[in-house]
Amino acid sequence: MVAVVRSSSEDVTVTHHASQRRAYLTLVLISLFCMMPFFWVVLAAFDPKASQFLQIPQGVTLDHFKNIFANESGMRWVLNSVVIVGSATILTLIFAGFGGYALSRTQAWWKRPLLYGIILVRIVPPPALIVPVYKVMLFLNDWINGLINQFTADVEQQQMLSRMFSFIDGYLGLILIHCAMQLPLAIWIMKTFFDAIPKDYEEAAALDGASQWQTVRHVLIPLALPGFAAAGLFAFINAWGDFLMPLMFTSSPELQTLPLGMFRAFLRVDAIDYGFLTALAVIYTLPAVIAFAFARKFLTQTFSGGVKG
Amino acid sequence: MSHIELIDIKKNYLGTEVVKGISVTIDQGEFAVIVGPSGCGKSTLLRMIAGLEDISSGELRIGGKVMNHVSPDQREIAMVFQSYALYPHMTVGENIGFALALKKVDKAEIKRRVMEAAQMLELEHLLERKPAALSGGQRQRVAIGRAIVKRPKVILFDEPLSNLDAKLRVQMRTELMRLHREFGSTVVYVTHDQVEAMTMAQKIIVLHNGYVSQLGKPMQLYREPENTFVAQFIGVPKMNLLRGKLQGSSFYLQSGQVIDIGNGFTSGNDLQLGIRPEHLKLHATSAQGGWTVDVVERLGVESFVHLHNATMEQLVVRVEGDCELAADTQVNLQFDAASCYLFNDKGQRLLRKPAIEQAAG
Repeated sequence: MVAVVRSSSEDVTVTHHASQRRAYLTLVLISLFCMMPFFWVVLAAFDPKASQFLQIPQGVTLDHFKNIFANESGMRWVLNSVVIVGSATILTLIFAGFGGYALSRTQAWWKRPLLYGIILVRIVPPPALIVPVYKVMLFLNDWINGLINQFTADVEQQQMLSRMFSFIDGYLGLILIHCAMQLPLAIWIMKTFFDAIPKDYEEAAALDGASQWQTVRHVLIPLALPGFAAAGLFAFINAWGDFLMPLMFTSSPELQTLPLGMFRAFLRVDAIDYGFLTALAVIYTLPAVIAFAFARKFLTQTFSGGVKG
Repeated sequence: MSHIELIDIKKNYLGTEVVKGISVTIDQGEFAVIVGPSGCGKSTLLRMIAGLEDISSGELRIGGKVMNHVSPDQREIAMVFQSYALYPHMTVGENIGFALALKKVDKAEIKRRVMEAAQMLELEHLLERKPAALSGGQRQRVAIGRAIVKRPKVILFDEPLSNLDAKLRVQMRTELMRLHREFGSTVVYVTHDQVEAMTMAQKIIVLHNGYVSQLGKPMQLYREPENTFVAQFIGVPKMNLLRGKLQGSSFYLQSGQVIDIGNGFTSGNDLQLGIRPEHLKLHATSAQGGWTVDVVERLGVESFVHLHNATMEQLVVRVEGDCELAADTQVNLQFDAASCYLFNDKGQRLLRKPAIEQAAG
């Protein structure tokens, strides 16, 4: 009797093992298939004879990277991307911090409609926004360029200022558009985060004699850090990966960002330089990875034990 | 001077009146406890004293100065929150010293005063820890440390012990009383627990539905409750109330039972007889006693016997020591006539006429 029970239980274990092995094998195959392009990108980027096939490099070279920075305007693209996306992220965090806090604390009747209105911006597909946004930006652009022309008559100065502050084909315009695109999600993240921070902390700070600004600086911002990290990470990665907006709102080569640079290098008719393109892809990926690693520290930082109830 | 005067304080929330006109004076250095069931407006009242809540009408004075529109930090008060509200990203030392750091007090001075507070609360070895690494009792102590380091004239406590377990609560009660003695600040302490009120307070303010139901010294409230609410709120188990009518010195229950409550009351219908469980005596009897045992709670040092009569009116009797009565046993009750209270149908207490008047009448 006992023997029968044992053998049947062994059968179960065996089939269990076998099915598990099959599952793992399938998963490994799927992952390999998914990771293949990444392997190719990384290998080809360092391969002196990069081609469109996955191959083990004969040697390791940094020539493709050097080429990007020395012969092409690689440095310019990277800096443009970093400055534009970086500023947009910081701006997004500032607005999302204030907006999220206000929306979390207010009890006004328009709270819900406004919150859903905000997320609606996120639901509309970006290409559908291009025409109306372009119209608004064009109007603002005329206005700012009028101002610049009044400010100085020097053509060189005018060009410089125009590149900085123009709403179309200027840094400011692109920063503001990125910020506007990333704000809805960031505000929602911050609002939800502030919801979880009890009002007691602010009241305790008020009784401790903290001014409004001191409460923000010493209590609210430190408590909201994980929220800022999450919102900042999403904003940065989304804006960093955005291709459409830089394409629509910039034209001069000086303003070209990384994705645009990559796209135009890919479109060159003469010959496709896979080493160059994959090296560019590696450079393009790195900041997102770095941003994630940086934000992770704050994302996992949880504050507990301050209140009980 | 740091006495607190509340003059006809009212609070409206979107048209609903939560605090309906409270006038109380709390003397300098007094330990005052505001007690009442949940929703009676006690926390709102405390938050108005703290300045965290606007005062809809009335006047608040601290140390003689009107404080209605003074910001919380200018009122020279400190508050211990029910949730403690310790800043989780700061160490214990930083938490305690935060108020001083904001005032730009000299660093060495902050350190000295934080240490002083920590010693008082036995927290010296925890100063470098974050709140998350503390037990409930330790967090409570840090919250108190944060309050006393400012050397406030008034300390407000909002149900500070409600998150602690029963044993720690008893310990913290005595500790708070010791601190109050050493510190001498005026204390306003909000709780729903009448035991905390009775044990700690020098003055108890009983709130009910936004009004002051009665205020006075603990034993005064126990002995001389002005209404059925206070009579039943103060004292465990609560005072027994029986409906009936009075003729001379005989109180007739609805079941027809007659209780002698002594002279001095004016006869009337629709009255309530109040008597505390400790003022009843139990006689087990084989004859029909009129009261039947429901449940006996045996605590060893004392026992509480729950009884009912023919009309299902219920009573609790406190018996010294153990009591081994079985359920459904018939018992006789002896009421201590001098300890009987009489309330009218609105719950207001009726007083006995003084003996001289009785003799004259």
